[in-house]
Amino acid sequence: MLCRVADDLFWIGRYVERAISVSRLVEVTQHLALDAGGSDFWAPLVADAARGRDADIEYHLAFDERNDNSLVSSVAHARAIARGVRESIPSEMWEELNTLHFWLASPEARHVQSTFHREARARLQHVQGLADATLARDEPWQFLSLGTYLQRADGVTRLLRQQVHLLVPASDAEDTSVRCLAVLRSCGSAEAYARYYSLAVEPKRLVEFLLLNAVFPQAVRFSLDRAHDMLHAIADRRAAAGNARGPAIRTLADVRHFVGRSTIDEVFEYGLDAFLDNVQNAIGAVAAELTDTYLRSQPRPPQLAGAGLGDGALQQ
Amino acid sequence: MIPTDPNLGMGQVYEPGAFWDEMFESRGRPREQYTALAARLSTLSPDDVGRRQRAADLSFVARGITFAVNQDPNGIEKIIPFDLIPRIITSAEWTRIERGLEQRVRALNLFLHDVYHEQRILRGGVVPPELVLGSRGYRREFRGAEPPLGTYTHVVGSDLVRDGSGDFYVLEDNLRTPSGVSYVVENRRVLKRVWPEIFRDHDVRPVEGYPQDLLQTLLSVAPADVDDPRVVLLTPGVHNSAFFEHAFLAKAMGVEMVQGSDLFVDDALVFMRTTTGRQRVDVIYRRVDDDFLDPIAFRPDSLLGVAGLLAAMRMGRVTVANAIGTGVADDKAIYAYVPSIIRYYLDEDPLLPSIRTYIGADTADRRYILEHLDDLVVKSVDESGGYGMLIGPHAPQRDRDEYRSRVQANPRGYIAQPTLALSRHPCWAAEHLEGRHVDLRPFVLFGRDVRVTPGGLTRVALRSGSLVVNSSQGGGAKDTWVLAS
Repeated sequence: MLCRVADDLFWIGRYVERAISVSRLVEVTQHLALDAGGSDFWAPLVADAARGRDADIEYHLAFDERNDNSLVSSVAHARAIARGVRESIPSEMWEELNTLHFWLASPEARHVQSTFHREARARLQHVQGLADATLARDEPWQFLSLGTYLQRADGVTRLLRQQVHLLVPASDAEDTSVRCLAVLRSCGSAEAYARYYSLAVEPKRLVEFLLLNAVFPQAVRFSLDRAHDMLHAIADRRAAAGNARGPAIRTLADVRHFVGRSTIDEVFEYGLDAFLDNVQNAIGAVAAELTDTYLRSQPRPPQLAGAGLGDGALQQ
Repeated sequence: MIPTDPNLGMGQVYEPGAFWDEMFESRGRPREQYTALAARLSTLSPDDVGRRQRAADLSFVARGITFAVNQDPNGIEKIIPFDLIPRIITSAEWTRIERGLEQRVRALNLFLHDVYHEQRILRGGVVPPELVLGSRGYRREFRGAEPPLGTYTHVVGSDLVRDGSGDFYVLEDNLRTPSGVSYVVENRRVLKRVWPEIFRDHDVRPVEGYPQDLLQTLLSVAPADVDDPRVVLLTPGVHNSAFFEHAFLAKAMGVEMVQGSDLFVDDALVFMRTTTGRQRVDVIYRRVDDDFLDPIAFRPDSLLGVAGLLAAMRMGRVTVANAIGTGVADDKAIYAYVPSIIRYYLDEDPLLPSIRTYIGADTADRRYILEHLDDLVVKSVDESGGYGMLIGPHAPQRDRDEYRSRVQANPRGYIAQPTLALSRHPCWAAEHLEGRHVDLRPFVLFGRDVRVTPGGLTRVALRSGSLVVNSSQGGGAKDTWVLAS
């Protein structure tokens, strides 16, 4: 498939997943803020400039068009990209992103606060579900899924990195279980965690579950495994056409093993912050290498040199 | 059936007016092909029609069937207003249109081949050489090139109008990158969804075969040495006003939609950049204008084109549809000569009449234009989309004065035609039906043979009294039915 279209699908995957996690986060923190001492949950999430009253931060995360990571921005990005590749994705997927984009901007959407995030997520997950149900398991689906899973692994790692020092009680008297539950809910993982470990939330078990679980779809390890499956298929196809696979598949395999072969005790022995930073950096490297090999135009043939088109122009 | 609600604006109150009305012969008397539709309408309440109209409008927005307006910075995406009362063309009328268009397209392709080769028609004095060679659409870079099958215009959208007597005329030919065909298919789809009942009363010829016909046409002109040709659609990108149509056609044909940056030329072969490496491209259905197609041959600042494409075309390594330089044949000054062109190449009389056209470059015609600005429509020869046009009888004196000096300063740049009493069709205006002026843009495909999609885009000047049907100027559209018998 065209490099440009592959790139666009990869980013639709990322933006939709990002929008889902932002929405979950905002909803969870709305609830948390109603409990005693809950409001500082926001603190690690937003840049200093945006800090203020909870309502302002909520606006910043959900509705602020100037915040590139807000819910509305993520949906607007996904929708704008989908519009440009609408011939390459199922019509229903494009239409759902299109109508969701307009719905988010409509007054009626924001009036019903109690159901807003639930509906926004349901529609975003509908987009993912449509892709899952209607895209053939070839390159478009693989690039889309690669974006989804890399984004998810990245998002959960980031959240753990930001929250983890607040989860460990400063003293025996402090109870952090409410905060732990909030972290789990932010990843849509509270119920699944309860099935695994019962509801007594321990920070260490929480990290184990969100980081190392191989069968739970929100876990970093699961997401890296799926991302690896996708990239493996993509790289094989490229190799079959006689071209180099590029370094991304190797980097992804390494970080996947790094996570997959660690126990939770080893993670803490290694140092949790350092471990998470490692994963985070590797995901960043995979995305960059992926772009170089698969998503950016190939080097210009000699005939094109001097035609007045810079590399930047070729990317537009 | 007995009319139940006179408020609907059916026969009793709908005024056909002083124009040719497509639906009504006279007040209260529908034409034969419209009797079933009129009966059906008379059983509906305005609420019912209004509800279906709103359902149709919502459907266009939800599905992103939108266009961008060139000169409106805020008009990023608009829908073309859709009027849900269909236009009905009889089988006999259609046969005449179809034959007339086929004749015209064949003659214009022979003309194009001639003016880029021997130029017999110019030496024969049938068309003034300076009009052809001086046309902005004439591309000397394409002289001597041999497009497969001798076809220059694979896709044509000619604009037809009916005058007060009900006769169809060709108003202009669009031979470069005509757009609108996606609306032909989508309007039908939407009308079927919101108003399925009315289709049961009629035998309407389908239009959804267009993308497959287009693909067949494109495959038929692939370079001769290619076994399994790869077709792509070249779009200027998401900011182009017809982007929806590009995506629609690429998807329906199952071909890649590419941008200039996705393609490159190597050793006179065209390739696209894919995730598995480069892949050869054999036929390019381009929706990019000549000027932007190849920065080496034409505008060097173009980022929309492919460097080296013209050379690859000339060597027969890739087919580009439509070919380069077809604009010379839809130049509004050349239009005046199309009847002569048909006679010259085919030795036949034109089946579809053209409109009397006064050419600014001709001394006698120019004098007539300047003396009759009150009665004429003056058009710039190389603008389209309803821009660069003066409708004499409706324009303020200031505009007429401006066009007078423009014509005097650049006579070759203008033509004039009598103001036509365009036919009207009932349209839904909030609570009732009102007559609005319409035209018809059928789409003609020409590869190995000529195919005309039954129907075409009926464009509507939605503002009361307006004669401008272009979507960029507030025009709307209707579903257009050709009856099977």
